[in-house]
Amino acid sequence: MHDPDFQLLTADEVRKRAIFDALRAPCYALGLTMAGFSTIARECGFDFFMALGTSLGIWGMPGQVAFASLYSVGASLFVIFIAVSLANMRMLLMVISASDLMNLESHRLALWKKVFWMHFLAVTAWANLSMAQRKYPPHLLLAYYQGFAVTIFVFGILGTIIGFFMSDLLRPEILRIVIFVTPIYILLMIINARQKVNRLAVVLGGGLSPVVFEYTGEWAVLVAGFVGGSLAYLYGLHIAKWHLGKTQ
Amino acid sequence: MITENMEQHLFLYSFLAVLLAILATFIWRFLGVVIASRIPADSPMMGWINAIAYSMVSGVLMLIVVYPSGVLSTTSLDQRLFGLFVGLVVVSLFKRLILALCCGVFAFALAVSFF
Repeated sequence: MHDPDFQLLTADEVRKRAIFDALRAPCYALGLTMAGFSTIARECGFDFFMALGTSLGIWGMPGQVAFASLYSVGASLFVIFIAVSLANMRMLLMVISASDLMNLESHRLALWKKVFWMHFLAVTAWANLSMAQRKYPPHLLLAYYQGFAVTIFVFGILGTIIGFFMSDLLRPEILRIVIFVTPIYILLMIINARQKVNRLAVVLGGGLSPVVFEYTGEWAVLVAGFVGGSLAYLYGLHIAKWHLGKTQ
Repeated sequence: MITENMEQHLFLYSFLAVLLAILATFIWRFLGVVIASRIPADSPMMGWINAIAYSMVSGVLMLIVVYPSGVLSTTSLDQRLFGLFVGLVVVSLFKRLILALCCGVFAFALAVSFF
C-alpha cells in the first residue's frame, strides 16, 4: 500500500519532507486565509492581541469567524461559547480520526503531549495527513504531521499578524482568487481518500450540506456530516459483505 | 470615571470572550484525544467516525464554495463551481494534486476575470 522506499526513512527525514510539502503551496494559501480573518477581525472591533490570541488559541477558521462576528454585535459570553463550540465540534471527530491514522497510541505519549500536538490539528493538516497515509507507513505519520502542521501553523500566525496591519495587502480581485485556493485544495485532497467509503462520504457530505443549509442554517455541517458519513459507512458495510459472500 | 469603568468592562468582556472561545475549541480536541485512546483501531466504530469526519469536512468546504462570505462572495456560484469542476476532472484523470489545484484555481481566475 505504501511506497517501500519510505519504510526506511527516519522520523527526522519525514519531518523535513513534511515541511517541504507544506512549503509547496498550502502554507501560503493558509497564511493569506488567516490574513483574511485578521482583516475581518479588525473590522469587528478586535485589537491586535485579540486577533492573535484567537488564531493561536482556536486555530480553526469557521469558529474564529463565528467568534469575530458575534463579538462585533456584543453577543453574551454564553452565546459566544455555545456558537464557537458548535462551529468547532468537528475537531472532536478530526482528532479521533487523526489519532487513528497516526496510530498515536503506539507512540506512548503522555496525555498533555497528545493534547499539545492535537492543538495544531485543523482541516488542512488533517486532510494532508490522510493524503500522506498513501505514501508513508503508519509509524512515521506522527512525524509527518508534526512537520506539516507546525509549518502551516507558523504561516497562519504570520498571516494573522501581517493581515491585521495590512488590510489592503492584496487587491480584492486578487484576494478572492487566493482565498479560493484553500477550499479547493482540501476538497481535491479528501476526494482522493484511500478508502472508497471515505471518498463516498466526501461526495455525500459535500452534496448534502448546501441543500440542508437551506433548512437548518449553520447546523447543516453537523447534519450533512452525520447523514453522509453514516450512509457511506453503511454502504461500505454492505459492499464488504457482498464481496465476502462472493469469495466464500 | 464612567468612561474608565466602561473601558474596564470592555477589557474584561473581550478578555473573557477570547478565553471562552479558546475553551470552546479546546474541549473538543481534549475529548477527542481521550476518546481516541479508548476506541480500538480497526473497530467498526472507528470506520464510522472516520466516514463522518470526511463527510463533515467536505460539508464545511462545500458551504464555503456555495455560500461564501467576505470577498469570495463577489464571485458567482457558476464561477466557483467551474473552478472546482476543472480541479476534480484533472485530479481524476491525472491523479496529480498540485496540478489539479493549479488548473482549478486558474480556471476560476479566468472565469472571474472574463465572464
